[in-house]
Amino acid sequence: MEISIRQAAKEFETRQGKLQALQETSLEIKSGEFVCFVGPSGCGKTTLLNLVAGLEPPTHGEIRSNGDKVTAPGSDRVVIFQEAALFPWLNVIQNIEFGLVRRMESGKRREIARTFLNLVHLGRFEKSYVHELSGGMKSRVALARALALNPSVLLMDEPFAALDAQTRDLLHEELQDIWQKTRQTVLFVTHNVREAVRLGDRVLVFTARPGRIKKEFRIDLPRPRDINSSGVLSYAQQIQRELREEIEKVLREEVDHEWTLKKTDFLRPAGIDLGSGI
Amino acid sequence: MIWEAVFRLKVWPPYLFPSPGDVFQAFIFGLRDGSFPIALAVSLKRILIGYSLSLFLGASLGVLVGRFKFLDETAGSLMLALQVLPSICWLPLAILWFGLNEMAIQFVVVMGALLSIAIATDSGIKNISPLYLRAARTMGIEGLDLYIRVIFPAALPSVVTGMKLGWSFAWRSLMAGELLFVSLGLGQLLQTGRELNDMAQVIAVMLVIVAVGLFFDQLVFAPLERRVRRQWGLVI
Repeated sequence: MEISIRQAAKEFETRQGKLQALQETSLEIKSGEFVCFVGPSGCGKTTLLNLVAGLEPPTHGEIRSNGDKVTAPGSDRVVIFQEAALFPWLNVIQNIEFGLVRRMESGKRREIARTFLNLVHLGRFEKSYVHELSGGMKSRVALARALALNPSVLLMDEPFAALDAQTRDLLHEELQDIWQKTRQTVLFVTHNVREAVRLGDRVLVFTARPGRIKKEFRIDLPRPRDINSSGVLSYAQQIQRELREEIEKVLREEVDHEWTLKKTDFLRPAGIDLGSGI
Repeated sequence: MIWEAVFRLKVWPPYLFPSPGDVFQAFIFGLRDGSFPIALAVSLKRILIGYSLSLFLGASLGVLVGRFKFLDETAGSLMLALQVLPSICWLPLAILWFGLNEMAIQFVVVMGALLSIAIATDSGIKNISPLYLRAARTMGIEGLDLYIRVIFPAALPSVVTGMKLGWSFAWRSLMAGELLFVSLGLGQLLQTGRELNDMAQVIAVMLVIVAVGLFFDQLVFAPLERRVRRQWGLVI
């Protein structure tokens, strides 16, 4: 058992009082699994990821990684953030080596870094500085940097959300490819349903705040999966339907309470694709 | 050219407004009798010691204030308040503490640069994107390593700006200090010029002071700043 979340919950203190971000949640993630969290904004999916990362302590419950209780961040649970969070004072290869520095001598380090840089097809850009890279390239470097640490679980927090659709599609393909090669355990947070279906073994739908896992979908599709294949679309539609309700809840909270979505505008029959890739 | 022209118009008498030629001669004379090189060497030694010291102390102070809330609330505001004080105002205090010696002038130099370096480091650290820290922590970096490998490099652009500013403050403080009391040094030479009513020498020394200040600014700090900014992608 890789990651085990036991009745973990999180409350934040705000000026308005306590805010329950995540209700008690239990979840087991097996080694080699690709698990996706989807949900409306503010549903606690990122909160749960941060708890697993050890960036924040849970208010209740506990999280175990390989049987050890998570109390602090560690390189066995590397996070890839939406902004690639590469260090501008280091070049590409130094960025990838960053987490390895105290662990091994420099020759070995460089060798590992090169392996992973080649895995993301950026071998030519070893000496480039971060600002010289495009958004997609930054995401690749961030991926290589995380994989180089050989984490037991890779935590990805909307890693491709800031990219354009074409780049994102390409990166999905590569991530899928890399995952098939390495069988790296991945926990992937996204608001893009089709992305989740395409990449994940399991997709967990979160409810609106306070967040909890509403429903679990097991994606039984052969890999590699195409984002426009009928299999992906039909799962995406089922999940989208679950999500609609939650999104509507969020909207009602954010706008006036009396305001409701016009049914005809939003709740279309499942057969029609209403930008489910958004 | 304009200088020479104004001189020829004889608006002011030559002892108040020397010609460029006179100033050049004074400069050559100073070089020959060794007073300029000695003064320059003494001043440079003082500034290098004083500046290094203030760099070390300023950066440390900046890191402490930038990272610890308690220190920020106490020393932080004090730092800003003292920055308003021209560093030469520390001289009387320094003389009472250390006596009329090297220590006193070093103190003035350090006080001149220390605060601007500390303030720049502090603001550099406060402006570090929390994302870098989170990313580093999830990669297992913590404690002292986090300071050496993330916090300090992340604050570097701001620190370099502070260093540059600190350099000119330190140089000014040193000149003021030397002018007021200490033997040898460029400031002292300036004072001698005044006492001897030798305007040409005064101007020659002033030019040397400007030249030294500019030399370091342009040949040390500007390239350093450019390099950091280019690496970070802050200039095109």
